[in-house]
Amino acid sequence: MDGREGPLTASLRFRLSLWISTAILVGAAIAGVYSYVAATDDAHRNQDTQLRQVGYLISRLDAVPTSPMARERVGDVDFDARLVVRFIDAPGARLPHPERAPYFSSTLPDGLQTVAIGRETWRVFVRTNAKGVRVAVAQQTAVRDAAARSSALRTVMPILFLGPVLVLLAALLVRAMFLPLQRLAAQLRARREHDLGELERAELPSEVWPFVAEINKLMARTVRALTLQRRFIADAAHELRSPMTAMSLQAERLAASDMPGEARERLEALSAGLSRTRVLLDQLLTLARTQESPVDQPTRVPLKKAIQECLEDLVPLAEAKAIDLGVVGDADPLVAGRPVDIRILVKNLVDNAIRYTPEGGRVDISVAEANGRVTLDVDDTGAGIPPEERERVFDPFYRVLGSGEIGSGLGLAITLSIANQVGAAISLLEKPDGTHGLRARVVFPGC
Amino acid sequence: MRVLLVEDDPMIGSVVQGALRDASYAADWVRDGEAALTALRTLEYELVLLDLNLPRIDGMAVLHTIRRARNDVPVLVLTAREATEDRVAGLDGGADDYLVKPFAMSELLARMRALTRRKEGTTSTVLGNGIVELDPATHEARVGAVTVRLTAREFPLLQALLARPGAILSRSELENRVYGWNEEVESNAIEFLIH
Repeated sequence: MDGREGPLTASLRFRLSLWISTAILVGAAIAGVYSYVAATDDAHRNQDTQLRQVGYLISRLDAVPTSPMARERVGDVDFDARLVVRFIDAPGARLPHPERAPYFSSTLPDGLQTVAIGRETWRVFVRTNAKGVRVAVAQQTAVRDAAARSSALRTVMPILFLGPVLVLLAALLVRAMFLPLQRLAAQLRARREHDLGELERAELPSEVWPFVAEINKLMARTVRALTLQRRFIADAAHELRSPMTAMSLQAERLAASDMPGEARERLEALSAGLSRTRVLLDQLLTLARTQESPVDQPTRVPLKKAIQECLEDLVPLAEAKAIDLGVVGDADPLVAGRPVDIRILVKNLVDNAIRYTPEGGRVDISVAEANGRVTLDVDDTGAGIPPEERERVFDPFYRVLGSGEIGSGLGLAITLSIANQVGAAISLLEKPDGTHGLRARVVFPGC
Repeated sequence: MRVLLVEDDPMIGSVVQGALRDASYAADWVRDGEAALTALRTLEYELVLLDLNLPRIDGMAVLHTIRRARNDVPVLVLTAREATEDRVAGLDGGADDYLVKPFAMSELLARMRALTRRKEGTTSTVLGNGIVELDPATHEARVGAVTVRLTAREFPLLQALLARPGAILSRSELENRVYGWNEEVESNAIEFLIH
């Protein structure tokens, strides 16, 4: 997994959100249309029922009333919403001509119908009673249409409002559901490269579990392969010990016999070569050992004691180069790890400092404890390491060019391996006072 | 001094045996654990150099067998196993010293001399009887002001005689201390030297 959010995740989320939103909006639209139609239909039916009821009521009259109908306005009823009653036909009766519109023609059939009179549209119910009296009850359609619209809107409004809210909610939910996956990606991104532990599947959706299981299996296979490789290196180095021993002893025995000066010089060069190979073998074995999985129960090692022990070994080397080697600070903290490994770690750093500092220089070792962490600094007055190489010097067999020093090239690799094993962080920095030289800093976790 | 070298690696075994002979030891070399036990049953050795990785019978098993039989011959373990647990196991198993390969021959010889001093109960690094002084490290003998470097045959003989002052050693005992298995015993060599 690379550092960015993969396009797959974004598109899956996007697609989910898109389709859910579309479904919501379509559903809302359908619901809206349906309620509008239903509300309109209701309003029409209501009006028709009303007209019919009034029509039946009035057509019970036997004869056409001779006095004009009341024309008072009823209090709070809208004038345009009024019901209009007209007698349009009766056998043998002289119908009074209505004084005002609307006028309904006697050609209108019985029943419900919609009639346009002048500029208005009326819904009319016509009934002929047993005596032949024909009555028409009517109401403007504008009324019912207005009622229909307002009723429909009342039903549609919540849907219209809810639609966008649901869309937003859906988007947020989808995002929330995918959060565990993003967290997983972030977790993997933050892992250090040698950390091949299993993934936790507890928080993840079950659809992803098969993936997690396969990834865990893949990591287990990788760990096995790495372990085999390391064991091979360790075994190879171990196997080399016997021939090395034989050669060293043979060279030693040869040195004890008589030989001309020239031969003796050459023998010395040979012995030096053998010695260097022995050192390399030792380093290889140490590196292999420190690369194994962490110790189950590391002990707590007094750091100051480890420093003192390695100083004992290194003071002669420092004195030979007239280097001022000193320890700064009184802190005597404990760090977790195996005593022999901590000693090697410190010794490699100090040894490097001495080697790469010219004659007459200074190497300072300081220990500080703060916030439960222990910081070890080894400062030298050498040429330092260019920033672009500071990562690479920890690679096995990498040597800074031009330093002229012979080493196995494994010192820092071993140091890094030990640091990883105990959970410490190593960094190479400029010195705080800005003078030339290097600061090697190791920060141990609390213990 | 007669020592038993138990080492399965042919190159290492051959150079160590040669170096031991150079240093005037009568060195017998066996290549597996079974042969080692047989040799120890047959002859008396003054020191055993024991490699741990052996065929037939493992080095630690040989060590345990030696000690169970109440044989307190000094044993110096030579091995490639350098881990602390292995060292502890070796020393607690009855070894008197533990040397990790690769080692320097000079260190091996010095440790052998140290073991011998312990065995003989002396702390002085120089053997003597009041008249003659013998330095095992340099093979030099001194009487009064005269110092002589002894040969490969003279040294072990004098060493054997001085090791336990007052004790009487038979000719065959002396021969055992001076000659290894493959070395021809020159019939009157001992008498010649004594004379």
